[in-house]
Amino acid sequence: MIQVTDLQKQFKTLRKKEGAAGGLRTLLSRDYQVKEAVGGISFAIEPGEFVGYIGPNGAGKSTTIKMLAGILHPTSGTVSICGMSPHRERRRVTRRLGVLFGQRTGLWWDLPVKDSYDILAAMYGQDNRVKETRLAQLSELLALGEFIDTPVRKLSLGQRMRADIAAALLHDPDILFLDEPTIGLDMIAKRSIRNFLKQINCELGKTILLTTHDMDDIEQLCKRVMVINHGKLGFDGSIDRLRSRIGLPTKIRVCYASQVPPCGSLPDTRLQLISQEGRTLTISCNREELSAMEALRLLEQLGIIEDVHMEEPDFEDIVHQIY
Amino acid sequence: MIKWLRMYRLLIAASIRSRMEYRFNFWFSTLMAVIINVVEFLMLAVILLKFGHIKGWTMEECGYLYAVLTLSKAIYRTAASDVHHLEKYLVGGDLDALLLRPIPILLALMSQNFQLKAGELIQGTAILTICMGVMIRQGQMTWTAIPLTMVVIMSGAVLLFAIGLLTATAGFWILRIEELQNITEDAARTAAQYPMSIYPNWLQWLLIGGIPVAFANYLPSLYIVRQQMDWWIIPLSCAVAFLVLGAALAAWRVGISRYQSTGS
Amino acid sequence: MLFLVLARKTYARNLQYRSAHLVHNIASALFGFIYVSIWMGIGENRPLGEYGLTGIVSYVAFNQASLWVAAFLTNGLGMEQSVRTGQIALDLMRPVHLFYHLMCKEWGQIAYQFVYKFLPIYALYFFVLPLHVPSSWQTFFWTAAALSLAAYITICLNYLIGALALWTTESRWLYWVNYAFSMLLSGFLIPIEWLPKTLADISRSSFYPYLHYIPTRIYLGMEDRSALIGAVCWCAAFTFLCLAATGFMRRKVEVQGG
Repeated sequence: MIQVTDLQKQFKTLRKKEGAAGGLRTLLSRDYQVKEAVGGISFAIEPGEFVGYIGPNGAGKSTTIKMLAGILHPTSGTVSICGMSPHRERRRVTRRLGVLFGQRTGLWWDLPVKDSYDILAAMYGQDNRVKETRLAQLSELLALGEFIDTPVRKLSLGQRMRADIAAALLHDPDILFLDEPTIGLDMIAKRSIRNFLKQINCELGKTILLTTHDMDDIEQLCKRVMVINHGKLGFDGSIDRLRSRIGLPTKIRVCYASQVPPCGSLPDTRLQLISQEGRTLTISCNREELSAMEALRLLEQLGIIEDVHMEEPDFEDIVHQIY
Repeated sequence: MIKWLRMYRLLIAASIRSRMEYRFNFWFSTLMAVIINVVEFLMLAVILLKFGHIKGWTMEECGYLYAVLTLSKAIYRTAASDVHHLEKYLVGGDLDALLLRPIPILLALMSQNFQLKAGELIQGTAILTICMGVMIRQGQMTWTAIPLTMVVIMSGAVLLFAIGLLTATAGFWILRIEELQNITEDAARTAAQYPMSIYPNWLQWLLIGGIPVAFANYLPSLYIVRQQMDWWIIPLSCAVAFLVLGAALAAWRVGISRYQSTGS
Repeated sequence: MLFLVLARKTYARNLQYRSAHLVHNIASALFGFIYVSIWMGIGENRPLGEYGLTGIVSYVAFNQASLWVAAFLTNGLGMEQSVRTGQIALDLMRPVHLFYHLMCKEWGQIAYQFVYKFLPIYALYFFVLPLHVPSSWQTFFWTAAALSLAAYITICLNYLIGALALWTTESRWLYWVNYAFSMLLSGFLIPIEWLPKTLADISRSSFYPYLHYIPTRIYLGMEDRSALIGAVCWCAAFTFLCLAATGFMRRKVEVQGG
């Protein structure tokens, strides 16, 4: 369904010239600074898959999605969506694609939601009857009824996201690209969006590629995960394999009631010392191998614990672990 | 083609409805635009009232030049408003959303934020009617000048659009185009509002061969108003307009493929 | 000192875009050149009153350069934007008076534009046009004084335009209408005595001549410093208006609840 081979994207930016005639010199100069955003990645996605695409900021996630959607032209390599190239046949490919950028809306900001759907339907050449049945179906799934006549600018973020998902699905595409669909939402809205996405994948059978910064999105939705960092794919496999590969690294900061002796060796090899400052030790352990309670019990052997602080694994850290 | 025209109409309608959400601003800005245009023309009129003519160009003739150009510009900016504002799309990455739609980008861009340049259209038509009326009564031109003038206005609109598009396209390479637009659109158009014989030779040639706004009003009017040129200047002006348009569209296509979106 | 800190910040912020602004000067110089050409076309075989052809060329050229000190300031002193973002409520609560705060910033803008726009354009015209240059330093001094007063009046005007954004949300249009009127009534392109009687009367009873006509005539040695008394009076009146406007704004923001 989606076939990506050795995809590469370099951005060229002109080096700015300083000084009096800088503006003119910048206009004329050929002095480029080349930055590689995506450096040769390949993957294939089969019909019906739900794939998570993760990586830190600036890793090349959005650039990849934009190349898949035909917004950016790749520097080299090929993309094929249902056998077509998105940058050579952009208009035909957009008919098979639904794309959602969580940070931006694809709807008409000042018009009622319904109007946006009418315009989109006209763009895709959908006739009225098809559009109405489709809309009824989506309206039931995403509960659009409560705000369909409200101008987009007056929607809450959660409502807007639902409206945007419906817009992406209106022309019945086979593939959905979702770029951070849960960004900025509260827990309840996130949960409902996740439920919708699950249904869209299972019941409507759409192939979904999802980028996100929220690990919960990935764990609850995706069977397969791809991790990108510095423009390269660092991992491509099932969520279980990802978990077993990185475990659950956790940082524990323990403050003791009295000075503890500088300890070169901790009571257990599964605990690693990160730093020691006076009475405070910072320790890391993998919760896959060692439960939090067990770790504390071991640490108590060093002295009376006054205060404990635990840090959940940071997303950036997880990705770094893969390298 | 018909399909795209229908699409364009639909999008313009949506654009107008969006604008009408801010009704006060719409009428307020239209009124202000009328005032600005009247004052602008008044400056030229005052000089001509005081001194009679500039290098042999009378009030009516100068008014004709001014009105033709105003109408061409109003048509261009009405039909393709956001082409002029491409910089905003490039810097903010808003072009992404347009690229996801199954219609040509240029069409999407042209139909965004539709602005009816009512002020310019009314004022331009009024001045043109008055000036042509006087000149026809004086026997300086005949009724045939009316259809010819309409052709010139349309071809001028195409030319200004093409120059605007070409300038905007430069944004795919240099990103910031406001300063460039100031030269190719604003300064060049202001220069063309006045009879070009007042300029030194290098500037005249720049306005004919470099940024060819001379073909939008001055050169055609040398035939229509002053009979100093032959009829072929009219088809030539149209040809130049479409030639520049062709070049602009070709450049646009290359530019789109270089679109870099914004990081994130 | 607050004044210097704010002014210097604005100046420094502009420095980053210096190169783009210099490209912009090409367009600005071109505009002036168009206006000069109009007068050269007219003055070809006609006497041009007390100015003469060189006089009027200098008049128009100097006006074009001084646009960057006396006319092209920040639209509404940036208040339209701060109204839209709600920043205005915060600004009104600062211990510094809003008018003083924005004015200080704008002087930095003017200083920048003087160095990077006025001077380059002036220098260009000095070389390519027969530009009149005063022979005494006193003329330079009083021209500078006149331009400073003009700049102050324009700051006040923009403050009032910006303040209106609180009621109309958009003040961009007022900025341009003011600009259009100023082009006609300030004697920017046409010396005021050559305007039709009604327009000349309107102009003389307004502050507009102090923006271009008076400073440039002082520069050309056709007017002496006593002409500036009127400018000082207008400055005082505008200061009063701006302070009054701030009072209204406070009330409006309080009603809206910030």
